[in-house]
Order: sequence, then C-alpha cells, then structure tokens
Amino acid sequence: MSIALRNVLSVALLIATSLCLSNVVQAQDKQLLDLEKDSLKFGFIKLTDCAPIVIAKEKGFFESEGLQVDVIAQPNWKTLLDNVITGELDGAHMLSGQPIAATIGFGTKAHVITAFTMDLNGNGITVSNAIWEAMQENDPALQSETPPHPITAASLKPIVQEKLDGGEKLQMGMVFPVSTHNYELRYWLAASDIHPGMYTKSDIGGRTDAQVELSVTPPPMMPATLEAGNIQGYCVGEPWNQAAVAKGIGVPVTTNFDIWKNNPEKVFGVTKSWSDENPNTHLAVIKALILAGKWLDETDEAGNLTNREEAARILSRSDYVGADFDVIKNSMTGFFYFQKSDKRAMPDFNVFFKHNCTYPWYSDGVWFLTQMRRWGQITEPKPASWYDEMAKEVYKPEIYLKAARMLVEEGLLAEGDIPWETDGYKAPTSDFIDGLTYDGKKPLEYLKAHEIGNKE
Amino acid sequence: MDSGGLSFSNLTTKFETTMLRPTPEKTKTPSVPFKYRLVKAIDVAGLNFLTPVVRLCFGEEPRKQLKDIGLYIVIPILAMIFGVCGWFVVSEMVVTKSGKLPNPSETLAAAGSIWDFHVRENDKLSAFELTGAQRDARMAAVESRLKELEPLEEEINKEVTEEGKRAEERTQQRTAALEKKYDEVKKELDSAAEEREKALKAKSESIDKSDVDAKKAYIADVRKHRKALDVAKERLRDLKGRIKTLKDLKDDKLAAVLRKQTQIAEERQYLGKMKDQLTKTNRDLKVAGAKKKLDADLAAFYDAEPSKMYLAASKFVKGESRIEKLKSSEYAKPSTLPFQIKRSLLCVFVGFFIGTAIAIPLGIMCGLSKTVMAAMTPIVALFKPVSPIVWLPVCLIICSAMIPDPDKHFFTQWMWNLPILGKYQINPAFLASACTVALCSLWATMTNTALGVASVDEDHINVARVLRLGFWDRLFKIVLPSALPLVFAGLRISLGVGWMVLIAAELLSSSEGIGKYVWDQFNNGGSRSFANMVVVVFVVGIIGLILDRMMVVFQRLVSFDESPTAV
Repeated sequence: MSIALRNVLSVALLIATSLCLSNVVQAQDKQLLDLEKDSLKFGFIKLTDCAPIVIAKEKGFFESEGLQVDVIAQPNWKTLLDNVITGELDGAHMLSGQPIAATIGFGTKAHVITAFTMDLNGNGITVSNAIWEAMQENDPALQSETPPHPITAASLKPIVQEKLDGGEKLQMGMVFPVSTHNYELRYWLAASDIHPGMYTKSDIGGRTDAQVELSVTPPPMMPATLEAGNIQGYCVGEPWNQAAVAKGIGVPVTTNFDIWKNNPEKVFGVTKSWSDENPNTHLAVIKALILAGKWLDETDEAGNLTNREEAARILSRSDYVGADFDVIKNSMTGFFYFQKSDKRAMPDFNVFFKHNCTYPWYSDGVWFLTQMRRWGQITEPKPASWYDEMAKEVYKPEIYLKAARMLVEEGLLAEGDIPWETDGYKAPTSDFIDGLTYDGKKPLEYLKAHEIGNKE
Repeated sequence: MDSGGLSFSNLTTKFETTMLRPTPEKTKTPSVPFKYRLVKAIDVAGLNFLTPVVRLCFGEEPRKQLKDIGLYIVIPILAMIFGVCGWFVVSEMVVTKSGKLPNPSETLAAAGSIWDFHVRENDKLSAFELTGAQRDARMAAVESRLKELEPLEEEINKEVTEEGKRAEERTQQRTAALEKKYDEVKKELDSAAEEREKALKAKSESIDKSDVDAKKAYIADVRKHRKALDVAKERLRDLKGRIKTLKDLKDDKLAAVLRKQTQIAEERQYLGKMKDQLTKTNRDLKVAGAKKKLDADLAAFYDAEPSKMYLAASKFVKGESRIEKLKSSEYAKPSTLPFQIKRSLLCVFVGFFIGTAIAIPLGIMCGLSKTVMAAMTPIVALFKPVSPIVWLPVCLIICSAMIPDPDKHFFTQWMWNLPILGKYQINPAFLASACTVALCSLWATMTNTALGVASVDEDHINVARVLRLGFWDRLFKIVLPSALPLVFAGLRISLGVGWMVLIAAELLSSSEGIGKYVWDQFNNGGSRSFANMVVVVFVVGIIGLILDRMMVVFQRLVSFDESPTAV
C-alpha cells in the first residue's frame, strides 16, 4: 500500500475517531467472524417480546457483527414457521414449543433448533367484561378495584358449569397449538379443575372432553375477536392484554408470572440445516441478540430499567409492533394494568437477560414436552430418556456458550452473567400456581402429579 | 404495453387502407383545426369533462359550454366538497373502541407521516453510504437538530404529564355525579333488601307450623324478594356500565398532546439512528476500520515466524474478503408504502399478463370454432365464480413447492440479480399472488374476446373470402382488428378485477405490498392505524382509477368509430 494512500486513510480514521471515539475502539476489539451470509431476513410476530431482534437491529448490534438484517412482520405463527422451514426467512422469533413440535413432528415436520431464549414471562389471560363481572359475583373478594392476586380459575368454574348446563361451552382463544399460551391457559384452567380438552390422534383441535373450548387466533387479532364475541377470553402476549384494557373490552385476570414464575417464553429459532451451513453467521446473530437482551435489561443503581422507554418507543413504530407507545410502555417498563384503576408494579413481567434468561435450558424443552404429552399432542407414552434426547436435539447451549465466550473476550459481557458450568437443567422449582414441583430430570413423575391429562 | 398499443394502431391503419372506409377525407386532411385535434385527444384520453372548457376557450357557443361546465365540472366538485363535509360529520359519529373514524384532516396527517417514514428510511439508507465531507456536513446537521429537539422534548414530556392529570380530573368530573348516584342507589337498594329480608325472617316466626297455605304464600314472598334483588342488581349494573362508558371516552386534548409527543420522540429516534448510520455503522468508516486492521495483519504477516506464517497469511486473506463484503453491503431498509405500492403494481401486471396470455388465444379459439366454445363453456362456467380466497392457498402451496428454497433456487436467484426487478425480491408469495390475479381476471378477457371474434361482421368475412385471404391473414387482418374493441373492453374489466383481487391475495399471502400493509396496520391496532388504513383506501382507489383510465385510452385507440391518428 502506497504511503499517500496510507496518509489518506489515517486522516479518514482520525476524523472517524474524533466523531465516535468509543465506538471505533470497541469495533476494533470485536472479533469479527467469517460470515457465510451477511444479509439476513428474520421474521417476527407483533408482540413486545420480539424486542431483542428489533433492538439488535435498531441499536446496531447486528451491524457491529457485520450483519444487515431485514426484520419482517409475519401474520401468524404458522406462516412464520413455514417461512423459516422453506428458507424464505433465515430465522425467527418463535414460540418455545415450535422448534420442539417441528422436530418431533407434531404439525409441520422439520428439524428446527434454538440457541437463544428471548425472554421470560410476558403473557396474560384476559376475559371479557361480562365474564369478569360474573367472576366477581362468584367470588366477592374480586369485587374491588384492586383484587388480591393470584386469581385462580375457581371463580370461573361456576360460569363454565352454567354454560355446560345450557348446552354451551365457554370459548377461549390462544395463539397456536404448541404455544406457551395454550399450555399456560390449560394449566390455569386445569389447576382449578376445569378440563380444557385433550388432543387425540383424530382430534387435532384438542377438544375431546373439553369443558372450555380453546381455539387459535393470531395474537394481534385477539382484542378484535374478543370484541366480536367469538371468544370470551384469551391468553396472549403483550401488548394485546394491555390493549384490551386501553380499549375497555376486557380485564386481564392473571399473568403467566403468577401461573409459573419466570417461565420461558419465546426462543430464536432457525433450521438445523441453516445453522449447519452458516455456523459463523449463527454465532454472530446470537452474539448480537445476547447484547440486545442485556441492553433491554440494563438498570440504574436504584434498579429501574433504564432503556425500556426507548425500547417501547422503537417497538411502537408501525413496521414493528405498531401499538400505541403508552400501551407498549405499560408492560415494558415494569408495570401492568389489570384494570384502568389497577396499575401494579411487575418488574419481572418481561425479562430479557436477568435470571440467565437467554441460556437455552434443556429443562425448558422438557417442560414443553411434558405438556405436549399431558394434553395428548404426543400420542404415545415415552420413557424419561426420550425427553432428554429430544430437548438436546432442539436446544443448543453449545452455540450459545461459544457466542457468549467471544463476547466475554471482547469485554462486552461479564464472566458472571453466563452459567458456564451448568448441565443445562435448572434446579427443581415449585413456583407454579398449584404449587407442584417440576424437576426437568424427572418428567414422568411430573406428569403423574397432575389431576387432569395424561399421566404417563 | 406501449409497443402493444402501437402495433394495434398500425393494424387498424392497415385495415383502413385495405378496406377503404367511407370517410377517408377526415383522417387524411392534414389541416384539421387545432381545436378539433385537441377535443379529439381529450376524448381519446377519456377526459371528456374538459371538452367544454376547450370549446369555451375557442368561444364556441358560450352558453352551452358554461352549462356543460356546470354539469360536468362544478357539480362533481360540489359533490366532492359535500362528501368531504359529510365525512367530517360522520367521523364524529362513528366512535369505536379502536378510536374514532379519522376525519379528512387526520387522514391527511396520516398520509404525511407515512411519507415521513419513507423519507426517513431513505435518509438512513443514504447516510449509510455517505462518505467524506458530505458525511461530516450531514452529521453536523443531525447534531444541531438533535440539540434543537432536546428542550422541545422536555417541554412536551412535561405537558403530557400535566395534561394526563388534567384528563384524569376531567374524567372524574364527568363521572362524579353518576358515581355519587351509584353509591346512593346502592345504599338505598341494599337497605331495602336488608329490610325485606328482616321482615321475611320476622314473618317466618309468626307462621303456624301446619299452615300450608301460609307457607306457600311465604314462598311467594321470598320469590318476590329474590326478584326484587335481581332487578336491583340489573339497575346497578346499568349504572356501572354508564360510568364505564364515560370513563372509556377518549380525551381529545390528551390525544393531541400525545400525538405531538410521539412526533418529537420519533424524530429523535430517527436522528439517533442517523447518528449511528453516519458514524459507527457507516459503510465507509467500517471499511476504513477494516483496512487499518488489514494493514496491521499484513505487518504481522511480514514479521511472522515461519511456523506462524500460514495462520497470519490466512488471517490477512480473510480480512481482504471481509473488506470486499463490507464494500458491497447495503443497509437493510424496511419496506415503506411507496415501495409496497410499486411491488403491488408489478404483481398485478405480472398476473394480468399471465392471464391475458392464456385468455386471448383461448378466447380467439372459442370465437372461431363453435366446437371449442362448446367444450370450454362448462370449464369457464365452473371456474369463473371461484373466489380469490380459494385460489390463493392453492397457488401458494403450488408455488412454494416449485421453489422449495428461494434463497438458493436458480429461478429466484436469477430474478434477484436482474437490474430493476431484483430489488422487488420476487418470491413464491409474490408468484402465488400474481397467479391468483391471473386466475381471477382472465375470464372477462376470455369471454369478451370470444364474443368479439364470434361477432365479426358477416360482410367483412365475405370480403375476405372474395379476396381469398388465408387463415392467418383473415385472423390478423379481419377478425382481430374488428374484435379488438371488445378484447380491450375485456382487458379493462380484467385489470380492474385483478387490482381488487391482488389486495386480498397479498393480505393473505403476506407478500410485501399494499395488502400486507393494510393487514399490518389492522394488526397494529394503534391510535394511528385507523387513519393509515383510510389513507390506503384512497391510494388503492386512485391507482385503480389510473389503471382504468389507461385501459380506456387503449380501448379508444383501437376502436374504429374514432380516428386514432388524432392523438
């Protein structure tokens, strides 16, 4: 390289450093990977928990890994999954159950994997105003502006029974057959002895023996479907519970934080073949997503989330989530409106990084598998080892740890943020609404513990 | 389209010269006054409402022209004004839980913000590519604007909190009377119920144990009491509902302040991203950074010991290829409405051409041969009424199956590398939408072509016989020219149908385009989404209108009654 050219370059660099000293220094420390593919397309559903992908794009985390990413809204979970499988999308914001179900062949069969859990919690169960009033009549404790939580489905039971006596079934909405929402809603109902119906070989709608019928509605359509009277309640992610409050069409009765504290919610899913063909690109994506999650959960000394307001502003853009800023802000900044008059602090309503959230836990995969078996989506009983094998087919902590190691070396992540030594199973927990204990290593015992549903 | 139109008019001129039409002087005289040529041009363009203006300018029958202007220009304008006024009034009355129906000025504002979004995304794209002094200048502009915004943002945030409090007070004022009433009524009803209950309990003691009638009467009393309780409950529920309705009313003032806040916050967001695009994510700077690293790598390679030379060299080569990649990298710009409109237009024309390519030959065969017509009739009758909503999933499955992995399939790869079409990212969803358009729109062209071909004037056929024309000559010189007006009438209907079908198809296939935009807005459910959807109503309408006018021009150009040379 000629001396003149070098001079020009060093002048250019001087300008650059003077413009953004810290950034350039940071960029130099980065270990840029040898990317197989540098322009990517990721899909998402209009929900606030798509935040890590959107933030990684808008705050430049993807770009500093050398990636240019198109983030494209998808109309529903089925189309999203199909687009990932056909290669139309490189990866997507997915329901935890989707990679598992695709891999074991419930629904569309394809080997989909995940190396990144996007968030914990973040869902709510909303019922229509009429049902809420009836629930209040059944349980006088609810007749207050700020009723005591958690609210169980016990006060819903008489309504269900009344409907059944009249030859009708209460209709509720969830977003996808293998969605967290389906399992949470079922868990909530079954914990109060309401049968939500079983899947069988011939009944893929999951309504056999149902006392409450569940049907699929895409998340953004939930409020409109409730308002139209097709369903009387639903379980969905944010902002669609807060939207019901803002529009005055329903009342969120519980969040999934009350059903299972810090439960896994969305994952970032890609097909196995995509990951095999683009291992470095996959690593770069996971690196950017980890940083985005960390950015989202940053707090000041007082423990207030500092970046969430900006995140809510970005998400309210109409090509992202598009709901009003103040609706998104409600749940994103650590609060939740149960009614217009009932605003409560819920600092852990959306977790994007804390509690080792981003690590892809095998025990999370096993929990979803137990629920699939409990409700008959897995039609045959399986041995305990099968649960472990399947979880390991789908959850790929080795990729995650490799990406995290690079970030630690670059000085962007603290050593203590990542559970390096774990075997992939979280400690047993009894943080459920019905107080049962779940141990990922003993799936069969967990199945037996439930009253309703398959027991083996 | 242009070349097609030209060859059609060539055909007609040829046809005229061979057939020696009875009014050749009109077209052949070169000195047709300018006025008539203009009027004719207006007529061909389908803008007949302008004719009286032209005639008036030339001073022809002013009274009649003024009357025509009144009828064809003033009255439509008045109707439009009336419509807009009506819209203002109606929008105040249509109040849904998703917000009020946006009025014209809100719709205009929404159109403005859609355009802003488009401009800002283009800015980000150009900022990504800016270099040298230009970049510095842009950076300075961005920073000064950011400084301007800071106090504004503080002010508006304060205003929002204050207005929020005031809005709460207003709501309280609105509901205070009703809530007081509710409390009073509840007290009254509760005490009444209590008294009744007490009375009933007291009465029970006075009833003789064996007095069946009295006991029956007692049951009736309890029943009455329960009924009264239900009535009371109903009354309270009604009151509560009224309070809730008042509480749920949207506060206009607060909404206005919030809108302003959103505007400022969005601009800040945009400027923040612009800053990134001009500094740390700027392509040129990234390349410069990578080059510096490459120099270091090269130096390291020269200093490397033999055992480490291979590693150092491969590091250098990797760095080289990274720079190449960086140089060709592009900012991933989200789709904006103008881009989506262009993609939709492309899609509708692709579908329309596929449809036409099938419909016209089939139509001609049907028109020429009664046998083919008889064979085709049941097929046409069966498929014509099938709705686009049914075709789309079928097309989607077929197209996705034919192009399994669009990222690697040779067809999509070839398409994506084409110079102009490339950026529209033609994918299976696009093709499925286009095929749906084709399947729904080809019937009008087909039936009209068949009709046009079948109803060629007997005299013309006889002349052809006399001239002993062959099959192809007969087809291209006699049959087609005289069928063309009807063919074009069919094409016009087809394009209109295709445009309507396309929006629905895009909405379902989520192929990037106007339909997807509408669906995304519906899904957003934000306070601005409603107005954005109304904007799209007009966008779709105006584009549909332009497409229709275009087809009218083509139709007039090929019809015999008017001289096409006038344009």
